[in-house]
Amino acid sequence: MESKFVLCFLLLVFSSHLCNGIASSSSSTTTMHTNNWAVLVCTSRFWFNYRHMANTLSLYRTVKRLGIPDERIILMLADDMACNARNKYPAQVFNNENHRLNLYGDNVEVDYRGYEVTVENFLRVLTGRHETAVPRSKRLLSDEGSHILLYMTGHGGDEFLKFQDSEELQSHDLADAVKQMKEKRRFKELLIMVDTCQAATLFSQLQSPGVLAIGSSMKGENSYSHHLDADVGVSVIDRFTFYTLAFFERVNMYDNASLGSLFSSYNPNMLMSTAYYRTDLYPRRLDEVPVTNFFGSVMETIHTDSAYKAFAGKYGKKSILEMPLKQSSQESRRTLASSDVRYPTTDSIVEDPQDSCPFLKFWSFMHGKLAKVEGLDSWVNCSLLFMFPMVAMSSWLSS
Amino acid sequence: MTTTTTTTTATTTTTTTAKTKPHFWKWAIASIIFRLILIYFPKNLNLATRPEVSTPVTSLRRLAEGYWLTQSSMSPYAGSMYHGSPLLLSVLGPLTMKKIEGQPYHLLCSLVSVIADFISAMLIRATGLKLRMAYCERLKLLGLGKLFEVSEILPSEDIAALVYLWNPFTIVTCVGFNTAPVENLFIILSLYGASTRVAPLAAFGWVIASHLSLYPTILIIPVILLLGNGPDATPKKLLLMYKKDEGGSSSKGRVVNGLTEQKSFSWRPVGLFFVWVFIWTLYTLFMCGIFMRNYGGLSEMFSRTYGFILTVEDLSPNIGVLWYFFAEVFEFFRDFFLIVFHLNILFMILPLAIRLNHRPCFLAFVYMAICSMLKPYPSVGDSALYLALLALFFNELAEMQFSFFLFCGYVGVSLLSPVMHNLWIWRGTGNANFYFATGMAYACFQIILVVESVSAMLNHDRKIRKLVAANIS
Repeated sequence: MESKFVLCFLLLVFSSHLCNGIASSSSSTTTMHTNNWAVLVCTSRFWFNYRHMANTLSLYRTVKRLGIPDERIILMLADDMACNARNKYPAQVFNNENHRLNLYGDNVEVDYRGYEVTVENFLRVLTGRHETAVPRSKRLLSDEGSHILLYMTGHGGDEFLKFQDSEELQSHDLADAVKQMKEKRRFKELLIMVDTCQAATLFSQLQSPGVLAIGSSMKGENSYSHHLDADVGVSVIDRFTFYTLAFFERVNMYDNASLGSLFSSYNPNMLMSTAYYRTDLYPRRLDEVPVTNFFGSVMETIHTDSAYKAFAGKYGKKSILEMPLKQSSQESRRTLASSDVRYPTTDSIVEDPQDSCPFLKFWSFMHGKLAKVEGLDSWVNCSLLFMFPMVAMSSWLSS
Repeated sequence: MTTTTTTTTATTTTTTTAKTKPHFWKWAIASIIFRLILIYFPKNLNLATRPEVSTPVTSLRRLAEGYWLTQSSMSPYAGSMYHGSPLLLSVLGPLTMKKIEGQPYHLLCSLVSVIADFISAMLIRATGLKLRMAYCERLKLLGLGKLFEVSEILPSEDIAALVYLWNPFTIVTCVGFNTAPVENLFIILSLYGASTRVAPLAAFGWVIASHLSLYPTILIIPVILLLGNGPDATPKKLLLMYKKDEGGSSSKGRVVNGLTEQKSFSWRPVGLFFVWVFIWTLYTLFMCGIFMRNYGGLSEMFSRTYGFILTVEDLSPNIGVLWYFFAEVFEFFRDFFLIVFHLNILFMILPLAIRLNHRPCFLAFVYMAICSMLKPYPSVGDSALYLALLALFFNELAEMQFSFFLFCGYVGVSLLSPVMHNLWIWRGTGNANFYFATGMAYACFQIILVVESVSAMLNHDRKIRKLVAANIS
């Protein structure tokens, strides 16, 4: 009998755990992909790092073209190449020597520019821990349904990425930030794309689920620039990004090209390095994930046949009830805010001098009475006028 | 015999006043006409905007704002523009709104200021006459009458009234669209009532003057001394000394009569004064309470009028010395320095009252001068008042030192102060230190004036004592 009870108890406990486990896992898969964000970071300054700027701006252009709006793109450019004094083509940034595309058009919104691109600001963007004064355009306002593209380019090395020629972002810093993001439910899925030397080492410490990462080179390999533009005078694009763009130029918003096809398009011979990606933290198969999940913003639309009236019954009554409450509170607020003087009402005058002398009590009582009587203002004027004859009479009497 | 002495003095005064009387009235009417001409200039010659003329507590523009707020059923103190009395609001407020066709906008209020100036001048004249009569009488009592008939006693009351009417400071204050002439009127009214020993009039003047601005409160001491002791005179002990020595002579009888009249401090007028103060205070507070019944009551009024003056909320530049200091003092020390500055006035009250208790009108002048120096929001209207009170003692202060230096100093400061203000605010080539330097120089000159006039007055008393002693021996 007792052993049976113990067995039943154990079964109950086990089933509850199972339910919990199922519930938790189902809770994560039940969140829908609702929005797309892109964080594009260029970490190098100086004129000879033109290509890193061009990399980032190319990705920016691609991502915008495929549908992500500026509000959901955080663009961090460490230096200004377009208006650099050494730029022969002012206000223009090219990623190809044929100068076909000007990447720096009218609608480039740079959120972090120049010296604002620091490791601290980058980590603040990722984790969302800003000071209160930071504007919304500089914040990554993602939620648990977001797919985030994180693209970083610059000079890197074994387990680090160089910022502004003076700081480093280490791989464990990045892993910590991503872990924080996961705990705060700031993303559903995250794609990290890194185009630096020894890029794969940068995401070697990652452990959070839902993260997919690809780097342009493995440990011990360099990433190379693609070609030199003799006119501008510097290299204008890196190989990895060049081939990424070559893939995307064939893609538009409605295509179903998968991530798997993207990743398999990288030819190590052309890149002169091995593009390494890790999928151990990513639950889905790459062939099933369209590139627009990360690089564009294509929303799932639900077509319903019912008209708006179907929802009127559900929400209509609530809205009617809410309106008059709001109105009345607004009206009361309006009368109170007419003057900036905060004076106590007559009631509080009566309440305050409770333990003070009876004269004050009498005074406040009279006050309360007088406040209700109207037409006293003319009384004040009359009594003022009466004052002068009173003075004259009294002084005449006493002299 | 006292009656004969008074008639002789009366005849001498009538002869002198007969000469000066037509001149006085000519000059008085001329000053009124001059003011009326100045009023017709558009926009008060921009005097209303000068910080030396209109302060946050006296500006009529702010009163107009307060009146408009009451017309819109709001507290006049909302918005922190108006900081004066609600009674003044009911009287002057409608005048600021009324506009007669074809006349300048501010005409009615300026007419009120002109009338107030004229009445003040008449009251100064009456007070001065009383003072001069008392002075001559006392000299006769001390047996120095013949000595002083040789050197003519000037009609100080006419001089004081004309000084008040023709002082550029007074004219500027009158034309400058503010309430200072009304405040000055009530201060002078209280002094007049006290010197003629009409207790209700003195009480009325004192209550209204303290109600309109805080600082005339300290005039209660000279008013009580005036009511008790009578007008300014040489110290009592001089009379006692004279009486002791004259004890054996034939003139004992008449001297004793005069002495017993003036020997003791008469408490009856003072008691009446306090009764009337109580009545007038209740009346005023009752009216203000009715006025402010919907806007927070008397506590609101006190915090916005007296509280505003005491806590020095407004730090806009003026000819005083507080704004500069309180602009740079740290918040932590602000209360301490507020107490220091206000105690500066309060500490001087008692010693001066002890030393000058036999000269209450002069004491009132010294108090007004000190207040004008150390007030948070002084203006030239305050110096207009005390300069007129100073002129009342023209005869006693004839030997004042540095009078020319002070005159030049006052002229210099009054010319430089607007220049420095212009340089600082409008041209931007100066800074606050320029303007504050003229403010400090002005305070220095006022200090010198007070010190020199007090020492001149004490020297005069000393001189008379020596003469009496010389006469006796």
